Amino acid sequence: MKNIRIYSLMVALIFILPLAALAREIPPVVSTDWLEKNLNNPKLIMVDIRKVEEYKEGHVPNSINVFYGSWAIKKKGFDNELPEDDDLFDILGSSGIKPDSHVVVIGKTDVVVDQVNLTRVAWTIIYGGGENVAILDGGFNKWKKENKTISTDVVKPKALEYKGKVNKAVFTTKDYVLTKLGKSTIVDTRMPDFFFGVSKLDFVERAGHIKGAVNLPSAWIFAKEGAFKSKEDLDAMAAGVVGKEMSNEMIIFCDTGRLCSGWWFVLREVLGYKDVKAYDGSMQEWAKDPNAPVVKYSWH
Amino acid sequence: MYKGFIVDKSLLDKDPHFAEGCGSCHKGNETAQDKTAAHKDLVKRPSDDLNLCAPCHEAITKTYKNALHYTAAGLRHGVMGRFSREELKIFDEKVFEKSCRSCHSSCGECHVKSPVIGGVSLGLVKGHRFVKRDEGRTCALCHGGRVYPEFTGEYGGTPDVHYQKGMVCMDCHKKTEFHGDGNTYQSRQERKDRPACIQCHPAGKEKSEKAKSAHETHKEKLSCAGCHASGQYRNCYDCHLGKGATAKPALILGRSPRDKKTVTTLRLIPTVRDTFKDVGIKMDRYDFLPNYWDTVPHNIKKRTERTRSCDVCHVDKQGFLTREILLKDGSKANEELIYEIKPIQK
Repeated sequence: MKNIRIYSLMVALIFILPLAALAREIPPVVSTDWLEKNLNNPKLIMVDIRKVEEYKEGHVPNSINVFYGSWAIKKKGFDNELPEDDDLFDILGSSGIKPDSHVVVIGKTDVVVDQVNLTRVAWTIIYGGGENVAILDGGFNKWKKENKTISTDVVKPKALEYKGKVNKAVFTTKDYVLTKLGKSTIVDTRMPDFFFGVSKLDFVERAGHIKGAVNLPSAWIFAKEGAFKSKEDLDAMAAGVVGKEMSNEMIIFCDTGRLCSGWWFVLREVLGYKDVKAYDGSMQEWAKDPNAPVVKYSWH
Repeated sequence: MYKGFIVDKSLLDKDPHFAEGCGSCHKGNETAQDKTAAHKDLVKRPSDDLNLCAPCHEAITKTYKNALHYTAAGLRHGVMGRFSREELKIFDEKVFEKSCRSCHSSCGECHVKSPVIGGVSLGLVKGHRFVKRDEGRTCALCHGGRVYPEFTGEYGGTPDVHYQKGMVCMDCHKKTEFHGDGNTYQSRQERKDRPACIQCHPAGKEKSEKAKSAHETHKEKLSCAGCHASGQYRNCYDCHLGKGATAKPALILGRSPRDKKTVTTLRLIPTVRDTFKDVGIKMDRYDFLPNYWDTVPHNIKKRTERTRSCDVCHVDKQGFLTREILLKDGSKANEELIYEIKPIQK
């Protein structure tokens, strides 16, 4: 009997421990009130991604500043690419971030680009091995609007040597996407006119979308003032387009790998879809390759 | 509504600059009821006259009258080598005073209102506040064409590592560079107080052997930016007086025109043969000076393609100035800047 109990306990631990290890210690989207209550949490690192000048004018007390452009760089002619792993580790280390730090990304939320800058940085830190990365809902705009304390003291991060491992499971490449056409759910997060192919940015060589993609615009994630829509709303929007099968592989893209981070973050971090990869080369890279199929004037 | 020119009323009561009313600086007629009468004898740029600021800011105005920001001597010095004596006279009279000096640079143009650049002024820095230091405005309004957006990464690259760490202009550039030290200089190259990488990053203190060895190997042969400029920076082409120039990004490596032993990053300066044609300057000595000048792009990174692999320079020869890419109909002096990079002897 005793052996059966020990065996049962071991079996339970085998299943529960990995889940416990993966479980977030902070919610993926934190409110201004939550942040205010947690300002003195020693594990908390608040990363303000606005420009240095904006940060110096006023920021959430104790937050550090690492500008958005440090996290998403131009590489080999493509915008919003991941820094090289060693550079990313330097950024994380010099920001005082450890893999288990509680990181809250703070920025402005004036326009959709600002809003997805937050998710793009969160994705990058998670790619770098961060386990507890959250976004301040409504960003600094909401914090300021609510008259919460604002500091002008520049906070110098406590630099350390970052000892994490990159999480390749959240990232994918063109070659990989080519092998997944018709097999995985591919999600275009641009607005419908870009998906359909009637609009195109200059640097994207062909209008339209990756063959077989569905359309779920990141701009629709956010409410008017830049805060996330309710989880119920987001869940219903996602379910209507990508379904409710939580383990299916999903590949998310946009034009440069910035906008798509919005739905990447919501699907994986907020709604719990297990296997969501962001293709940061996106249409800027895809449409340059004549062998990469692009579909225009079709909703399929 | 664009608010760039609206004075913040709340300042009027609390800022001592306004204690004696607008007219104390701008003249005009404060009591007049219509615009024409009010603006009669208006002084648009009161601080062109340094004496206006001198009573309260004596030390600064004393040195500033000789500072390069005020004299704009660097602009003259940069191009005068192309002129004959007669041409220099014409330049001084018709170009330097009317064009270069027209926006360089009263106290107010840094601290109160952006100057007119290319016919456009963005207006007051901050509602007519006298802004002591706010580099994104006080510096970037003039240096926003190339230096500042390269620094923040907004010119299409990545932010300079110093910006990434929260540093801005005055964390490296000291006040005396802007306000002068009382001495007269012809160009900023003459100044001894300019920042240098080595002041904060002394040789021999590198963390890795690879970096130490790379620095030792290239010592006095290659500038820091030669390896550490992270990508393309703005190069301006084809300038015609009053009509501006066109810009394209590039990273160009070649011999420094000021020190031919050193290879460095070069920037194309847009003076072409007929830049001053409309004012009767042919530039008899055009070929005496090159079109490419040594530059420190403000897009420095610890690691770049060139620090990661010697082959980028020594095999692929990426970025090096060659005869094929030299500016067409450019100065003959450009050829002296070509550096034939050699493969590494193993």
